[in-house]
Amino acid sequence: MATQVRQPLLDSAFMARLDQIDILSRKILAGKMKGERRSKRRGQSVEFADYRNYVIGDDLRFIDWNIYARLDRLFLKLFLEEEDLSLHILIDTSKSMDYGNPSKGRYIQQVAAALGYIGLVNYNRVSISAIADGVPATTGAMRGRTRVGQMLDFISNLEPAGPGNLAEACRRFALANRTRGVCVVLSDFFDKNGFENGLRYVAGGRYDLFAIQVLSPQEIDPDLQGDLKLVDVEDADMAEVSITQPLLKKYKNNLNAYCLSLKEFITRRGGTYLFTSTSVPFDTLVLNYLRERGLLG
Amino acid sequence: MYWLPTFSNWAPAAIAAGVAIPSLLLLYFLKLRRREMQVPSTILWKKAVQDLQVNSPFQRLRRNLLLLLQMLILAALLLALSNPITFYKPGATDNTVILIDRSASMNARDAGGLTRLEEAKRRAIELIDTMGRGARAMVIAFDDSAETVQPFSSDLPALKQAISAIQPTDRPSRLKLAYQLADAQMNVNPDEVASAPTQRIFLYSDGRASDQSELSLRGDLRYEPIGDAKSKNIGIVAFSARRNYDRPTEVQIFARLANFGPEPVEADVQLSVSTIDADAPAVDKFEVRQARSSLRLLPERWTEKQREDADALGRGASNSVEFTLELATAGVIKLEQMNRADDVLSQDDTALVVVPPPKVLSVALVTDGNYFLERAVSSLNLQKPQVFAPADWELKRPADVDVILFDRYVPKYMPVSGNYIWFGALPGDLQIKQSKDAQGRGQFLTDVEILDWKRDHAMLRHLSLGKLFVAEALQLDVPLQSEILIEGTAGPLLVMHRENRSTHLVCAFDVLQSNWPLRVSFPLFLHNALQYVAIGADLNVRESFRPGATPKIPRTNLDRAVDGAREITLITSSGSRRLPIPAAGDFAVPSMNQVGLYRFDPIVPQYERLAVNLLDENESNTFPLEKSPGDIGQTVKSDGGRSPLQLWWWILACGGVPLLMIEWWVYTRRVHS
Repeated sequence: MATQVRQPLLDSAFMARLDQIDILSRKILAGKMKGERRSKRRGQSVEFADYRNYVIGDDLRFIDWNIYARLDRLFLKLFLEEEDLSLHILIDTSKSMDYGNPSKGRYIQQVAAALGYIGLVNYNRVSISAIADGVPATTGAMRGRTRVGQMLDFISNLEPAGPGNLAEACRRFALANRTRGVCVVLSDFFDKNGFENGLRYVAGGRYDLFAIQVLSPQEIDPDLQGDLKLVDVEDADMAEVSITQPLLKKYKNNLNAYCLSLKEFITRRGGTYLFTSTSVPFDTLVLNYLRERGLLG
Repeated sequence: MYWLPTFSNWAPAAIAAGVAIPSLLLLYFLKLRRREMQVPSTILWKKAVQDLQVNSPFQRLRRNLLLLLQMLILAALLLALSNPITFYKPGATDNTVILIDRSASMNARDAGGLTRLEEAKRRAIELIDTMGRGARAMVIAFDDSAETVQPFSSDLPALKQAISAIQPTDRPSRLKLAYQLADAQMNVNPDEVASAPTQRIFLYSDGRASDQSELSLRGDLRYEPIGDAKSKNIGIVAFSARRNYDRPTEVQIFARLANFGPEPVEADVQLSVSTIDADAPAVDKFEVRQARSSLRLLPERWTEKQREDADALGRGASNSVEFTLELATAGVIKLEQMNRADDVLSQDDTALVVVPPPKVLSVALVTDGNYFLERAVSSLNLQKPQVFAPADWELKRPADVDVILFDRYVPKYMPVSGNYIWFGALPGDLQIKQSKDAQGRGQFLTDVEILDWKRDHAMLRHLSLGKLFVAEALQLDVPLQSEILIEGTAGPLLVMHRENRSTHLVCAFDVLQSNWPLRVSFPLFLHNALQYVAIGADLNVRESFRPGATPKIPRTNLDRAVDGAREITLITSSGSRRLPIPAAGDFAVPSMNQVGLYRFDPIVPQYERLAVNLLDENESNTFPLEKSPGDIGQTVKSDGGRSPLQLWWWILACGGVPLLMIEWWVYTRRVHS
């Protein structure tokens, strides 16, 4: 991991390709600042939206004088407000992410970096949070291309460690970030207390949720043999198994069922679920899969 | 449930199991010390394991299948080690020889109510029932002789009849003759062995044969032990009586008892006497004279250690008994063992001895001077030892002398009947003669040493004659019926010869021509010889016979009783039978197969009564031999005519191989699939 960390998360050629992509949200979300994104709110952009009758107190600068000249009635021109978009990226840094080849942790850092880069260059408000059994680190809101370096440094310095508690992490994140926006959660979503409690905080409501479940090939198709004592890297919980064909089949069935239930939970709440393996090159994920799923466009 | 196996080697197998099973479990657990491996989460694995356990009730079993297989392999090997034996009932073959023991010990009546002979016959008849079509069988009954009671036959009723007709005897058991007979019957041409019909010999016996070390048999023998090992039997195994040398009216009696049961017992004995009245010599009325009680007898089957332990506890054995009684006439002494409630064998509960009347011998010595003979004769406890010079003998011709000793002198006068001892001389009119050469000169032996002597003869018992040396002796021409007692290196030296009504003990040499007078054996011999020649028995008591004995009554004695008669009656407790007397020669009494008292009518002098006693530890021993006598053939378990099938051990051992293969298959399937 340490050697991998020293490699740049994104190379310049890839960043150049990312420049042409923006974050999309299916929801029109309110921003705090004027931004490059159309808002439902009528505002002061150049893009006309509608008319309405003038009422006392309205800003006289928006009265359509041409209409007044023809109809002798005061109408107010309404313009679409352009607002910025909040992009929250939650990176799972629990110890379980330090697994697989390539490592799940490195993989989601790269994905997060790519998404963060896209968000920053498109003047969205990007905040990146590490989640484990809480929110051990967060960047706060960043905006503009100038923050790319800061963002990459932050991501690079994240080290998978400690147990994970998705519920607690999501709760804390939701409490600290009340801004509406797109929320991308990068995790394996293996939580002994269940993913439902955690995702309830970020699914629906304020956030347009994108849950990207990243698993290593070793988790998807375990290459195990013999009588083993499996030790959970996070809580040292042990499971004694004798690897047999039926057991492996059962494991895979269980994994599929788990992923399916995760997807169902998320989609029912208006979110988007994406499953990927670390064997899928992350640029393919970013440039193809995420675009297909509507996160990027 | 005879097919259930028993374990003949269970103790080592149990020890091995005690070590091996925990070791296997330990090894299994050691083997299952699982390899640790880190995974991101155990959540799915646990769920998978749980699901499998829930969905498959045998999953736990499957998980432990290797252990299960290993335990099965181990169990198979341990069972094989314990040498399981099962029994089956072997039936008759094409040619079957049935040997049935009818000896004394087979009279024992075990818990089932049948005597052992009856049980043996029952089983033999059962065996006959298993004979197939065309199969043949023969029946041999044996004790110390063997008799073919039914030659080879396919006639089942005849075979059964022959078996049923076998009668018990009180004779000892010897198997050699029976085996030889069976072998001779079963023997086939070696070239035809391959095509010979299957043949088998069945032996029904308690195995107590006295000649086990001499046995050999070529056939396939199945020994079926008859008898209950828990049966109790107290037997008199030794019995003797003698008159006191100094007080001839006093009789000393010695007896030894043995306990062949499983537990120590206390025995009571009773001594009774029947005097033989000169007026009514054929009547036996036993009167109890003495009794002893509470003889403590330890089981003969006990080990030395057990006996020593019993001794240490003050509960040692007192199995010998001694009586002294006054008996001024001839009589029969009977010793009885009284604890007969659980006693399975009655033949050894009674012992008899016939005691002749006390008699002080009158002896005449005819010599021209022999210091040693005169001294010996005078020192013996004799009535009136008389010493005659040869001339005086011819002159006085004394009558009423029991024994006359002629020392180097052949008399002109001899009574018609009498008892004579000759030293270095022999009358010419006897059948026993001095050898003569062609010219008619008597032949002599010179420098003769002793080759052998009859150590068990009443006259020579306990004498050591090995260093006897004779300078010169008559060379004797001994007739066939005479008994050579001492054999020298060059010819016979002492011969017992009976002729007409006289008894002649011929010592071929002059004692002065030997070193015998200087040896201890000389006066002892002289005493024994006088007793024997005069009374016809040793130590003032008559010989006691073993069952089956055929004593020979000298013609001399017979003629005194029934001069010229052609028949004599032999009377036993079970009846009487008339026996023809041969025209010439001695009279051989037919085999006396039962214990008890025998007598003749009319009474034969010196043979007033014949006592037949078992006195045989081997026959009294009612503990049936578990192994076949002489370790020949196979033993069939005693409770049902079954012989062991000892194939189990390798069946079990071979059973381990497929189990091992299954285990290998399961292991490889688990690891590589």
